[in-house]
This record gives sequence, C-alpha cells and structure tokens, in this order.
Amino acid sequence: MKKFILTLSALIFSMSIFAHGPTPQKVQESVTVSVSPAKAWSAIKDFSSFKKIMKTRSFDDEIMKIKYEMLKKDGPFSDYNAYIIVKKGANDNESVIQWTARFYRTYKLNPPIPEGQDDATAVAAVKKIVTPGLANLKKALESK
Amino acid sequence: MINRNKKIILIILISFLLSLFYLCSNYYKVNPKAYITNQGDNTVSVVDLISLEVIKTIKVGIAPLGVTILNKKNLGFIGNVGTDDISVIDTRSDKIIKIIKLNTAPLSLTSSPDESKVYVTDWFKNNILVISVKEMKVIDSFKVGATPSGVVFNDKYNYLIVTNRDSNSVEVYNKQKKLIKKLPTGKHPFGVHTEGKYAYTANVYDDTVSVIDLESWSTKVIKVGAHPYNILTHNSYGFVTNTIDDSLSVIDLKKNQEIKRINTGETPENLDLHHKLNILVVTNWGSDSISVYDLKNLKLIKEIKTGAQSRSFGDFILE
Repeated sequence: MKKFILTLSALIFSMSIFAHGPTPQKVQESVTVSVSPAKAWSAIKDFSSFKKIMKTRSFDDEIMKIKYEMLKKDGPFSDYNAYIIVKKGANDNESVIQWTARFYRTYKLNPPIPEGQDDATAVAAVKKIVTPGLANLKKALESK
Repeated sequence: MINRNKKIILIILISFLLSLFYLCSNYYKVNPKAYITNQGDNTVSVVDLISLEVIKTIKVGIAPLGVTILNKKNLGFIGNVGTDDISVIDTRSDKIIKIIKLNTAPLSLTSSPDESKVYVTDWFKNNILVISVKEMKVIDSFKVGATPSGVVFNDKYNYLIVTNRDSNSVEVYNKQKKLIKKLPTGKHPFGVHTEGKYAYTANVYDDTVSVIDLESWSTKVIKVGAHPYNILTHNSYGFVTNTIDDSLSVIDLKKNQEIKRINTGETPENLDLHHKLNILVVTNWGSDSISVYDLKNLKLIKEIKTGAQSRSFGDFILE
C-alpha cells in the first residue's frame, strides 16, 4: 500500500511538472580553457567524433561558431539542434567555449507522459553529452 | 503694490493649475512597450520601446509562452503552459490583476478586433477557448482539429484561423464557430498570421511559408530559411523567423519569393512591430534577448537582454 501511494504521488508529481505542451528544452554550458581562441576554434573544427553523428548547419570562421543538427535518433530526445561558439577569455591565452543545445522530449502528445520520454529525461541525456564533451575538449586542448 | 502682488499670485496659481492639468493628462499615457514571455524563468520582461530598456520584470505562471496585448483596454494576456492558466497584466501599472485558471495548456492567444474576447488554443483537448474580457473567464469553447497551435483573427472576414501542427493543415472558422475551410499546408505549421485577404503559416519541417487566399482558397508555397517559426507582414513584405539559421527571411509578397536575409540573435522565434515607431521586434530564444530593427532599412537598432528563453508567441507590442 505504501509503495502504491508512493508511486501514485510520484506520478502525480511528475505529471504536474511536465504536463504541458511542446516546450523546447535548453542546455547551455561553457568551459574556460587556457589556450588562445584561434587554437580552441581549430580544435573544435577537427572534433572528428562530430562528423559521424552530426549534420553541420553552418560554419562561421569569423565569429568562431558552428551550428549542427544531431542525426542520431536513439537518444531520449528529439529535434536536437545546437551550436558551439568560442569567445575571448580574460587574456589572449584564454578562451571560453560555450555549447548550447535546443531539443524536445520524445513524447509530444498529451499527458500522461510515459516514463523516460519526459522533459527531465531529455535534459539529463543531453547534459550527458554536453558536460563530458566540454570536459574532454578542455583536457585535450590544455594537454597539448 | 497690492496690484502687483495679486498679479504674481495669479501667475503662480495659473502655472500651478497648468502643471497639474499636464500631470493629470499624462497620468495614463504610457510609452509603447513590448511584453516578452521568458519561458525559462517564468517571467515577462517589459521593454520600453522608446528608451529600449527593460523597465520591469513580472513574475507570471510557469513556462509562459503565448501573449496577446489589448491596446484599447490596456491589458496583456499571458498564457502559462506549465500552470495551465493565464496571467492578465494591466499595462498601465504592469501588475497582474487576474489569473484565469484553464486546466489545459494555452498555447497561443489572440483577441477579437473589438477586444471583447480572447481566443486561446487548447493544446491538450483540441479546443478553442473563448474568454470574455469583461468577465475575465472562459465563457465558451469549441472543438477544432488536432494539435491547434497558432491562432489569429482576420477582421476583413471575421474568421478565426488555426494551424494544426501535427496534421499539416490550417482551419478557418467563422464567428458562428463553423468550420468554413480546412486546407493542407507545408509540414508542421506553427505560427500563423493574417492581413487583408491572406493568411500565412510558417511550416517548420519543410522550411516554407504557405500563403492562403481567403477568397479563392488557393494556396502558394514560398521557400524560406531553416525551421521557420512565425511570420508577419507589413507593406507588402513578409518577415519570417528562421529558428535554425538565426535569421529573418524577407519576402516580397507581390512576387511571393524571398528577397533578403537578415541576421538575428540565436534561435529567433516570434516577431511583432510598432507601426508609428516603424520598428520590428524579434524574440531570440537562444540568446535570451530581443532584436529591434528599423523597418525603413532593416538595420539592427539594438539587441536587448531579456529573461531566459524569450518567446512571446503572439502580438506582444503595446502600441
């Protein structure tokens, strides 16, 4: 009985939070690296793992920005579009890499939303790409 | 001497009365403003369109998206899709004066030309809800096609026009709530706009705009940028927000083709204009800002930081 009430309250709780229409979700994270913006940008351009799962939408050397769409469809999110931009840091040998993703959950119809297809699951899954992605980038750039 | 004093007192009295009169007459006169719904932080940024600054941030319900401004009534209706309600703002004080509970997600809002009614697309139950502005409550509703997204009122024919996002169609209803016409659009129509004898839909998935003739019911398709979200027309030009390209497509409506592309902030979603100031305002979901353009030459006047995930789906400018 206790378990039932717990499940029920969890269900009601999750419904009240996610019971809304198609709201795009956003994950935006950035990392400061101790290399020049030009160096950081060239590393991002060569980020080979991108090319297999991404479709590059636009590429701007001047403002150091890449926009891409994710072609891989097996994550718990949909309509994933993102951009990565390199900005100047506090000095010439420092830059800030910012990664912004826009996406939706996989379930686009009315509640109840099936478990694992809600906004929170989608956000968590994208964070799992972005956070270690930036950390790896920092590691690779600073170890060179 | 006495006469002179009397004269001075009289002058002081007159100037006092004049300034009092001036103050009173300006009490309810407010600058034109834009009301920006920030879905990421549950607020509305009020932007003064003369000073081009955010002058107030209003806490509303959860995940505000749709908006419609009633210029004659000095009211702003904000649809909160997270709390399933509408926050009504008095645009003179910029305070919330009423919360209308809906128990369904209000996706987009528009008003009748006389501002007596506000129409809301009910995303969950496929209805149009009709709100009486005087009573501040839902007084009627009627069934429409699945996933009603954008809604606008055409004052030439008294039509209510609704996009059905998931069935790739647009529906036209008359004042008696009767479906007059259902027509196919491009894929995933979201934003809708109407002016004169035409309606326009922005079709997200196939990067097009559908132009619908409301008399002959013929339709045309115009290619624009990637993932267009909404459209607005002005002086035989159309402006379309391309969410993935971070740009605005400018369409020549006489030739029905794109003639120019202008840069915006990140992920531009919606747009509105102020006729007298001759400016166009675009909301940028990605960069949490709005871009203000001079309609004369389409040059950017200013990008203004707002709140998180600025959207403002609907007419968001107080003229």
